[in-house]
Amino acid sequence: MSDDIRRWSDELARDPSSLVFLQLSDALRKQGQLEVALKIALRGLDRHQRSADAHDLVARIAVDRRDFDRAYSEWETVLKIAPSHVGAMKGLGYVCFQQGRLEDAERYLARAAAGGSDSGVNTALATVRRTSGGYSLPPAESVVRDGGNDPQYLFADLLIDDGQTALLLDASGLVLAGIYVDGDGHNVSQDVGAQLSGISDEVRRSAKHLDIGDWKSITFETQAAVVAMSPGSSDSLIVVAASRATPLGLLRRLLDRCAVRAGEWLKAPSKYGEGV
Amino acid sequence: MSSPFALVLDGLTRQRGVRASLIVSESDGLVVDSNLRFGQDGDRVAALAASMYRKARLSAKAARLGAVAFLQLDAERGRICAVGGRGDLVLVVVADPAANVGLIRMELLKALETLE
Repeated sequence: MSDDIRRWSDELARDPSSLVFLQLSDALRKQGQLEVALKIALRGLDRHQRSADAHDLVARIAVDRRDFDRAYSEWETVLKIAPSHVGAMKGLGYVCFQQGRLEDAERYLARAAAGGSDSGVNTALATVRRTSGGYSLPPAESVVRDGGNDPQYLFADLLIDDGQTALLLDASGLVLAGIYVDGDGHNVSQDVGAQLSGISDEVRRSAKHLDIGDWKSITFETQAAVVAMSPGSSDSLIVVAASRATPLGLLRRLLDRCAVRAGEWLKAPSKYGEGV
Repeated sequence: MSSPFALVLDGLTRQRGVRASLIVSESDGLVVDSNLRFGQDGDRVAALAASMYRKARLSAKAARLGAVAFLQLDAERGRICAVGGRGDLVLVVVADPAANVGLIRMELLKALETLE
């Protein structure tokens, strides 16, 4: 990634009108360098004011900075330039959801879904509908059914933001359910599981010796994300990650909800078609 | 003779709700320096904090999330917070469950700057 950033940076220095600012700024955004990413994106936008992708990028950076008003305005501009831009509809749905405007959120997400977006939009739409009370969504099993009983989708409806990801590991660090996707969309579940193997048991034993009681969670911040984990039943470990802009309290709530879902799944595999 | 880290550790331990502060080596989990109350098991805290920090760093690397800035373990009767820098040293604080983590986080990050 850093090689790419250097290459794109050099290219942009050579040709300031190049569209490579889109890749450079987005890569910096994913690394959590939001101010630099914004500066590059705005400079690019000055030169390419009719570029839907440039406005979309500024909107995504704005979301990471929790500047939802700016994000909303940029995505509205995207739709004026490219009325069928699914990413902008999805983004507007997310912003409206964050602002508690559930009807607007549903309207945008429904448009995105109709525009042929990925399955993430459908799960987000289902979440909005469930939150608004307008529709009744059956609990977890529906999600698993939607995902063809694939345990990878166990947490899909709990994850609203693109940057959120969740994973259930066994005591040996092997993946039981969920999926951990890196910023480039690669499935790194097994790698993450391998690195975290044994942490639950180790922390439990040490906590006992240190007389601090049972451990409840471990949270850590990185340059690009915040990660939280908690012990589950049968010595399992639930791991969730979200973008750096996610408030820790929200991450904790997400972790709790994933833990409940994992507990239900581990207890009643037949109910979900899969399980252990 | 006081160690070069004594001032940093004193400053951290003075925070409300902080029971102990340590500087540990991430690679071997040994205590480099510490400010502990009588009876506290610094070696075990150091080993645990270093191990957690290492696992967090390696899992973050596997997920290409960049460097780990701050780590926090919450348990029923206590908390362990840690920050690490570019080198091998990890700054660790043991605190009460009711301690203000936001404040501790800021103090740890500030203290880390003085070590680097």
